[in-house]
Amino acid sequence: MKIHSLILGAATTGCATGLAFAPHASAAVSDEDFNSLKSMVQQLNDSVQSLKQEHNQDQQTIQQLREQLGQTQTLATNAVQTAQAAQAQANKPPSGPFATHNFSMVGDAEVQYGKVDGSHSAFALADFAPIFLYRANDNILFEAGFDVMLQNTGPGSGQHASGSSTSIGLSFAQLDYIYNDYVTIVAGDMLLPLGTYNERSAGWLTKIPDAPLLDDQILPSSGIGAQLRGAIPVGQSGESLTYAVYGANGPSSMDGSGNAGQLDLGGNVGINDNGSSDNLHSHPSGGGRIGWFYPWKPHYDLELGISGQTGEWDDAGNHLWSAAVLDAALHIGPNFEAKGEYANTWYGTSDSGTIHPHGLWVQAAYKLAGLNLDFPVVNNLELVGRFDNLNDGLGAKTDRYTLGYIYYFTNTLLFEGDYEILHSSDPGQNHNDFVLQLSYGF
Amino acid sequence: MKKQKLILWSVSALAVACLFGSGLTPVRADAPAQAPAQTTDKKAGPKPAPAKKLTGAELYQINCNRCHPERYATEWTPAQWKTLVLHMRVRANIPAAQAKAILKYLQEDAGN
Repeated sequence: MKIHSLILGAATTGCATGLAFAPHASAAVSDEDFNSLKSMVQQLNDSVQSLKQEHNQDQQTIQQLREQLGQTQTLATNAVQTAQAAQAQANKPPSGPFATHNFSMVGDAEVQYGKVDGSHSAFALADFAPIFLYRANDNILFEAGFDVMLQNTGPGSGQHASGSSTSIGLSFAQLDYIYNDYVTIVAGDMLLPLGTYNERSAGWLTKIPDAPLLDDQILPSSGIGAQLRGAIPVGQSGESLTYAVYGANGPSSMDGSGNAGQLDLGGNVGINDNGSSDNLHSHPSGGGRIGWFYPWKPHYDLELGISGQTGEWDDAGNHLWSAAVLDAALHIGPNFEAKGEYANTWYGTSDSGTIHPHGLWVQAAYKLAGLNLDFPVVNNLELVGRFDNLNDGLGAKTDRYTLGYIYYFTNTLLFEGDYEILHSSDPGQNHNDFVLQLSYGF
Repeated sequence: MKKQKLILWSVSALAVACLFGSGLTPVRADAPAQAPAQTTDKKAGPKPAPAKKLTGAELYQINCNRCHPERYATEWTPAQWKTLVLHMRVRANIPAAQAKAILKYLQEDAGN
């Protein structure tokens, strides 16, 4: 035990001695080194001062740049606001009221090239169909449509007089008076609302150059008289009920008799070509149309209509001519359209009892843009097909099948083409035609 | 036949008299200025919100593009658009309020 204590005490003493007398590192610095070091520190101090100065200058420069940037941004903002204000001013309608009167012209023009069986292919038509619009004020509009066409002079039986002549037809000329939001009074030579084709038959709208067989053949396109028409909105989706009620001179008889074959659908205008007044029979016809237009969203809509007309047609006023027409149009998206009409007419005659002409047409069209193909030519094409038929009530029945296309150069410049296959109850009347037409709506 | 004509003209005269004499307000043309507050019926559940009023652009697509390709607003001046929309209002039987909205839309971007 004592030995262990002795050893432990000796070791402790040794350690303490070692710690107390540890060797010291001694560094002796010469004056030269000290001065050198001092000089170096002085230089560093100078450098720091210089950098501080530069930093302050940089800070000042940055501040100036910031101020300049702020000014530039303010100027740019002001410039944008000025430009927007100028743009808004440019787009804004004139601050004063519009001039009460305005004269505008719209319409369409067509050039046709075609071939009918048994004849040479040729440029068949040059048609200019302006519509002159004169707005007298917010409620009064006069509108007149013409068909100006170039044609061979004289009869078309293979021989004709030299040169060509121009025909000018008055399609309609009517005065419209907006009586209120629901009633418009129309008077003059009116397009008759028998179905919808009559009122929507401009060359650049119909998709097929030739009109349906029933148009003009068993239905009159226009009549002289007066009309009330308008629309009543229903709900908030754009739905509406439309109506038209009219009285017009109506059909007449070519020879004044009530014999079959003498019906003249558009001939009773109340004045003769020698200037004398001569209404061909004593009572005007009455007619009208009621329509329902139901759009469930833009480009998706259904329109249904029923229309009719009745009145005397022979000079003695012994016989009535009457018509009933159903029309429908459907759009499913911006690329698909289907529409058609069915017309049933009947008229009494002195020699053949009651004649019953009737016919229909159905037409469907599809714009290939709906296929989402990345081909510009294809995207501008619309394919169209139509079936129409006619029974003239005198023994002739005709069916016609038409296939065609429309190429849209622009929204109003169209190049149309179609092939028509016509079957008639008279084999001599069967023929196939093709028609190419350049149409421009303006 | 005289009886038939008499009936025809009587019906026409009656229709005209009704239109002129009734103040011509059978159906509201515009939405109410303030939409009715949405209410909840415990049996029927929440009533659907009133339909959104269509813009002039939407009415243009609905009424105009169904008969002809689109015509661009810049094709005519504001004054010409006024004439053309009046023409189309009559021709296509477009309701008055809708025609006004379409006209406003077209005049906003009309040409000079």
